[in-house]
Amino acid sequence: MTDNQQVPFGSGMFQGQAKFVDYAHMNQQEVQVNTLDEPVMDTLLRDINMILYKLSYVIIPRMKETQGRKLRNWDLWGPLLLSLLLAMTLGINSNQSSDTIFGTIFIIMWGGSAVITVNAKLLGGQVSFFQSVCVLGYCVFPINVAAVLITFLQSYLGFFLRLIIVGAAFLWSTFSSLSFMSSMMNEEKKVISVYPIFLFYMFLSWFCIFI
Amino acid sequence: MLDNLNQDVSILQPSLQMTDSQIQNRIRQMKMEDPDDQTCYQKFCNLFTIEYYREYFDVTTELVIAKVVNAFNPFSGTFFDIGGGIPELYGPFWILNTLIFTTALSVNIIKYMQLQPGEHFEYQFQIVPILTIFMYLKTLIVPMIYRVALKCVSQDRLTLLHCLTIYGYSAVVMIPISLLNSIPNPAIQWMLLVYVLFAQTSFLTSNFNQELKYLPKEKKYMIVGLVAVVQITIMILYKFYFFSSINYEQLGLVKKRTTTHLLPHILGAN
Repeated sequence: MTDNQQVPFGSGMFQGQAKFVDYAHMNQQEVQVNTLDEPVMDTLLRDINMILYKLSYVIIPRMKETQGRKLRNWDLWGPLLLSLLLAMTLGINSNQSSDTIFGTIFIIMWGGSAVITVNAKLLGGQVSFFQSVCVLGYCVFPINVAAVLITFLQSYLGFFLRLIIVGAAFLWSTFSSLSFMSSMMNEEKKVISVYPIFLFYMFLSWFCIFI
Repeated sequence: MLDNLNQDVSILQPSLQMTDSQIQNRIRQMKMEDPDDQTCYQKFCNLFTIEYYREYFDVTTELVIAKVVNAFNPFSGTFFDIGGGIPELYGPFWILNTLIFTTALSVNIIKYMQLQPGEHFEYQFQIVPILTIFMYLKTLIVPMIYRVALKCVSQDRLTLLHCLTIYGYSAVVMIPISLLNSIPNPAIQWMLLVYVLFAQTSFLTSNFNQELKYLPKEKKYMIVGLVAVVQITIMILYKFYFFSSINYEQLGLVKKRTTTHLLPHILGAN
């Protein structure tokens, strides 16, 4: 095994100098000792790499369904960071009720993801709960970018320019999550399981315009 | 016993046209008749599994679109012929959520248009929880009223879930209206209100027609009147609570009344 090779480690990829770890023949305790012993920086970097790897799937929306399957190693760090960032960005700009807005965006994001996932399951899709919440959380990233942009360039942007930026972010988000969600459902139920996602991102996007 | 059931169903399937989830629910019902076969979880916690509710979400895209298009037509009365008249919860639930979103949007657009030049726009978010409670309560209570009324005139074809389904789909008319309500012209707003009242009431009554056809006149008018009164109450509450913040003077639509402003005097303009 050469160094600087991408090897699967845990649930993500780890680049850098890595010894090949053979999980098949190692028992659970040895694996845990390995990750406990490593320096904190390594753990953090590994998680950050995992998040960035998944974000790359959001940034370049892939319509081919096979590629969407790699998002199945779910984790909730990414959605948590993105939802905190979005809630803080939108809350800072509001003078009076910033705590209400912060709490509301947070609840809407997590509650909305849960509701959409339960809806997909009820319609008969074979989707695991946390995978779906993870994908929906990561796909909020473009809306985050739009919110941050609008916050920093507030005085230079008129209403219509904001509308264009937020509209582009919304379309980008929806396309990113489409490939994952539609691979789970039957042909005849695709539109009705994707419509709630559309509504969810539209709800979050409209907040960004009115900052 | 269960193996025989599967066999029989598969033979009968073309003519019986039972969907998969209905078959599973029937199997579960037959299991329930045999108490030894059930685990404790199945006996008491069936309500909390997803499979229990799957029966009510047994829809396809075509079916939902057909029902929505039918709901826009207030005179057809064929709502229960679509898809066999099976009650479902997908349509009402997501139509409600869409309605909440469009109303909140429209209220905020009105507020945005009334912005003074130097003012910073504050997104009025408090309206969303209130809207949610209003819409969900309305959708829970009104079908109960209809069901009780229909039971009083002694018919049993429509269960509570049927009433819920049809009431949920009738709210589709309100979605474009709530968006158009952001136009600050009072005449347009009243016209839209009247249109929604008329459309929803006639949609509901023409679909209850099969029950109403054979009734004596007084009872028929009573039911129609009940539907209309409930709709009027809800729409008036809706319009006056959520869309009351329109200041027509500020938008230049009504001539300004000359009022003396006290505050500058108090603050020392002398």
